[in-house]
Amino acid sequence: MKSLSFVAALLGLLAGPCSALSVVCLPAEFKPPPVFKNTNLVHVVSVEKSFAREQINVLVENVSGEPQDEYFLPFTAEQIARLGGIEAKDRKDDKVGPFGVDLVEYSSQSDVQYYRITLPAPLKAGAQQTLAISWYYLKPYRPLPASIGQDEQQFLIYDFSLYAASAYPTLKQKTEVKLSTVTIPDYTKYTNSEGKEFPEKHGSKLLYGPFDEQPAGAVYPAQIRFEFTKPVIHVSELERDIEVSHWGGNVAFEERYTLYHRGANLSTLFNRVKWAQSQYYNPATSALKELKFPLQIGSVDPYFTDAIGNVSTSRFRSSKREAMLELKPRYPVFGGWKYPFTIGWNTNAANVLRNTASGGHVLKVPFIEGPKQVEGVEYGDVTVRVLLPEGSENVKFYTDLPNSSIVETSVGIHKTYLDTTGRTAIVIKAKNLVDDFRFRDLIISYDTPLAGTLQKPLVIFGSMLAVYAAAWAVGKVEVGFSSK
Amino acid sequence: MDSSLHQVWQAAAGSPFLPAVGKESQFIIAFVLLTLSLAITGVFALNRSLVSVIALGVPASLAIAFGTVYMFCAVGVYV
Repeated sequence: MKSLSFVAALLGLLAGPCSALSVVCLPAEFKPPPVFKNTNLVHVVSVEKSFAREQINVLVENVSGEPQDEYFLPFTAEQIARLGGIEAKDRKDDKVGPFGVDLVEYSSQSDVQYYRITLPAPLKAGAQQTLAISWYYLKPYRPLPASIGQDEQQFLIYDFSLYAASAYPTLKQKTEVKLSTVTIPDYTKYTNSEGKEFPEKHGSKLLYGPFDEQPAGAVYPAQIRFEFTKPVIHVSELERDIEVSHWGGNVAFEERYTLYHRGANLSTLFNRVKWAQSQYYNPATSALKELKFPLQIGSVDPYFTDAIGNVSTSRFRSSKREAMLELKPRYPVFGGWKYPFTIGWNTNAANVLRNTASGGHVLKVPFIEGPKQVEGVEYGDVTVRVLLPEGSENVKFYTDLPNSSIVETSVGIHKTYLDTTGRTAIVIKAKNLVDDFRFRDLIISYDTPLAGTLQKPLVIFGSMLAVYAAAWAVGKVEVGFSSK
Repeated sequence: MDSSLHQVWQAAAGSPFLPAVGKESQFIIAFVLLTLSLAITGVFALNRSLVSVIALGVPASLAIAFGTVYMFCAVGVYV
């Protein structure tokens, strides 16, 4: 199997270089072998937040004569660019960990791209297994109308397929659309072969199907327009720095956000008076006026700045049960507007750093913390940089994030205050994350030898001793005229 | 990526990292060390000799070294 993968990878290299970590290269003429059929499939589309979540629960059957362990899931190239956090697991057995999920790179010309899901054990011929595969789409909506008044309701449109995209034939399937509202002015209607019309509407849910047997690759374009008078928050870039200090017994966090509101633009100029008046009766608004960051308990010294400087409209509620940082942006953020800002805080090292039996250290921090909003937050590019003490070595790290979300990892050097050789810096880049991944762990183990620990005071000691010696030496120089 | 690190973290549950000097003591220790180093430097200035470089310069340099590191931490620049 390994040698086959090697040959496939070699052929794939001819088609084009693999760029991300969790990528498998296959020949340019690749097509998923027809070895499975979907016996029963439930497609759940959730458009309750600023991002869309799709999940398919599928009972797959191996229809080939040999055991199979690779299940392929098709997406369009446009979807792949906006897709993130794809995970697959056994629907009926939680003990089986997440399955391997890799992006297949085979031909950049093809509009259909695939994710390969590797089952933990090959599925025998004729056997069945229930898979739960979920993923997120960023930038999934477009507002209609595209511009609204500052006190008007906002409506969004989401395009999807009623038939779940599959590389295999599907015998039976249904689609469920979950929303956060019952106000759904427009949605695609579907009449099946028996003349029954779908969807069935149950509160804020729409149920389509069951559908008849569909061939591999079948799609049925559908659209839904729904009320979403909430901010559509998109963080295009998040830079998160975590700085470990052994001397200070502290771990410092700093996060720099580039935040956009992707909802409907304002149809008129922003009216500050109207906005101030509306705050007395607090109506539903599409503007972003507050962000809540539940930090880890024990967090202290928070700050909140933007391009102008300190932003004083923030509150920090800290107790034994919570550490809630509540921010009000300098201005309400309406559709099409941008708000870049920075926050930071400290925590005692004892909360997140432990000594190992072998004399090293192990650090455990959330990969992203970020705001916890009812409407959800999506992240385009995330860069987490962990600065370990100077001289740290033997670095290992692990994160609970889906492998497919990690784009790049590197270990380098970063120089800052009182550094001579520089601190060991771990940089992990991820893309297309959502706030459902808040508090997924990042664990780092490292060793700091005594020489590395003492490096800073030793450098200052040597420098000062040189100053004293120079003072003595300069005093020995006779600059006056000799009396002899 | 090393998934065994979860076990490493669990195994180290009983030994949180504690610094040699707690946050609440950093300023006073840094202040005392830097004041001491200033005083020793004053004495050294009165009698600059090779012996003084060793007898006074070394302890003063040590006090400045650790005093500087802790003063950085005490003012919020956790080095």
